Amino acid sequence: MRNYFNDLPKSALGASYWIFAVYLVLPLALMTAMSFKDANFIAFPIGNWTLSWYSKVVQDKQFLEASLYSIGIALATTVSATIIGVWIALLVSAENIWGKAVIFALACLPAVVPGLINAISMRIFIRAVDIPTGTFAIILAHTVHAVPFVVIMVLTRLRSMPANLVDAARDLGADPFIAFLRVTIPYLMPALFGGMIFCVLTSIDDFVRTFFLGGYQPTLPMLIFAKVQGGMSPEINAMATIVLVVTTAIGLYAEHFTRRSRS
Amino acid sequence: MLDTTTQPPSVGLSMVPHYAGWIGRTARSGLYRHTIGLLVESRRVRLAVLAGVPLVWIAMLHIGPILQMANISLLANYPPQPDKSSEYTLANYALFFSDRLYFLPFVRSLIFAAVVTISTLVIVYPVAYYVAKVVQPKNRMRALLLLLIPFWAGELIRTFSVIMLLANRGALNVLLREFGFIDRPIPMLYTFFSLSFGVIYLLALYMLLPLYSAIEKIPTPLIHAAADLGAGPLQRFRRVILPLSKDGIVSGCSLVYLTAVGVFAAPLLLGGPNAVIFPEVIATLFHGSNDKWPEGAAFSMIMLVVSLTTVGLFMRVVGGRSVRLM
Repeated sequence: MRNYFNDLPKSALGASYWIFAVYLVLPLALMTAMSFKDANFIAFPIGNWTLSWYSKVVQDKQFLEASLYSIGIALATTVSATIIGVWIALLVSAENIWGKAVIFALACLPAVVPGLINAISMRIFIRAVDIPTGTFAIILAHTVHAVPFVVIMVLTRLRSMPANLVDAARDLGADPFIAFLRVTIPYLMPALFGGMIFCVLTSIDDFVRTFFLGGYQPTLPMLIFAKVQGGMSPEINAMATIVLVVTTAIGLYAEHFTRRSRS
Repeated sequence: MLDTTTQPPSVGLSMVPHYAGWIGRTARSGLYRHTIGLLVESRRVRLAVLAGVPLVWIAMLHIGPILQMANISLLANYPPQPDKSSEYTLANYALFFSDRLYFLPFVRSLIFAAVVTISTLVIVYPVAYYVAKVVQPKNRMRALLLLLIPFWAGELIRTFSVIMLLANRGALNVLLREFGFIDRPIPMLYTFFSLSFGVIYLLALYMLLPLYSAIEKIPTPLIHAAADLGAGPLQRFRRVILPLSKDGIVSGCSLVYLTAVGVFAAPLLLGGPNAVIFPEVIATLFHGSNDKWPEGAAFSMIMLVVSLTTVGLFMRVVGGRSVRLM
């Protein structure tokens, strides 16, 4: 009897986990399944399977252009956010710097400002300094958003780094820059990698900043948004499934990489 | 490669180790040697190199935009026009409090974010606890990964998949009709229900990860000890587990709340005419024919200040020791 009562919370917890997992996976599984259905509406069972929606999407010039555009923005964002983020992290981790806590707090500011406010303030800012809306403005806004996360990841790693590694390199004759390049950077690699994946995924996913700062060329989220507003169609299912598979692959690979480097 | 055999333990710049490849070529060049010499000799130069770019970046792009927004929110007209005054005024803020059309969506937005935050906490807590404490350690990563996969899909794709589930001709209605429960589709989309369903779907991860890492850190012997001393499941939860996972609760709730306040794409797609929340109101002031930047900036400032104060107060009242973003 006692056992029964002890197991009850445990099985209730298990049930909550599985219900939650179904809640998360079901809509996406549904979307993927319908992208293979040979009809324009949702119905069960699927009946006739087809790949025609996929061939349509792959030949869709708009989709390809938007994808390339998004990937380009994501790569530029990743490079700039990583450089700035590491730089800020180095400054915050350095000794004898006055006001470190304040600098760190301000470096994290864009992470706590709601996305919409972030986008609007950037829109106001680029008008004040005369930057046109478009690719550069998008990259700038995405970088501002990504920097705090890079700073936090790099800082966590830097704090675990033995100080005497760099000292040893300096004693052996390396100048500060080379010591940074050949000792600090390799040590930071796992954090840098994690940060880069984060930058790519958030940049490719971003809608609100692009909405306010973008020009006429649509990014992938803008394109999907426009199509979804036009109503449901299996073509969107196929498009979204492709994006889903690619981003999940990137995420899984990153997870695998960080777990391997941790052990 | 480093040639250490011929060198004394401490060397000046005159004796540079040999490096292979482009690093070596750069290191031997005169310009590089000169620059690095400055760096090594002067603490001031070192500090300038270290602090220059970060400080300029933070000042210009982290603080600058918000200051500029605050500035514009106080202007009578922006952009400045020759025939209109460009004085400083509080009229834009006054407009917010005098017009229900602006005030109501704002209140709705705050309530909506609070409801979403509390529901997410209640839904996700048992899940996080299950993964952190009940699942065997060797399966833990797999159990977590299953929950992480949907979050790599991206905001719009997840929103779209929710539409497919809840639309009038969506999966849920189709299934219910096929089994004969209903004749006419239940209108679930474009309501507060679909909006909350979607936003919880979007933000659950921000709750899951902080909660998981906080609960995982609770020493299991503590829970067993409480059980041995006669505490029932409920008492163990209330007196041991809940207080020790407070940090995770605080950071999870703060993250979800701040994101839910400013959520933008999901309401456009999932919310209906009866579920207009504040972000949409602000956006229309910046887009389209009615270009009202000062009003929009003022409303954004109100939203920023109120949401950050709410979270700040929440942290102070609940008293999480440290709040981590990741």
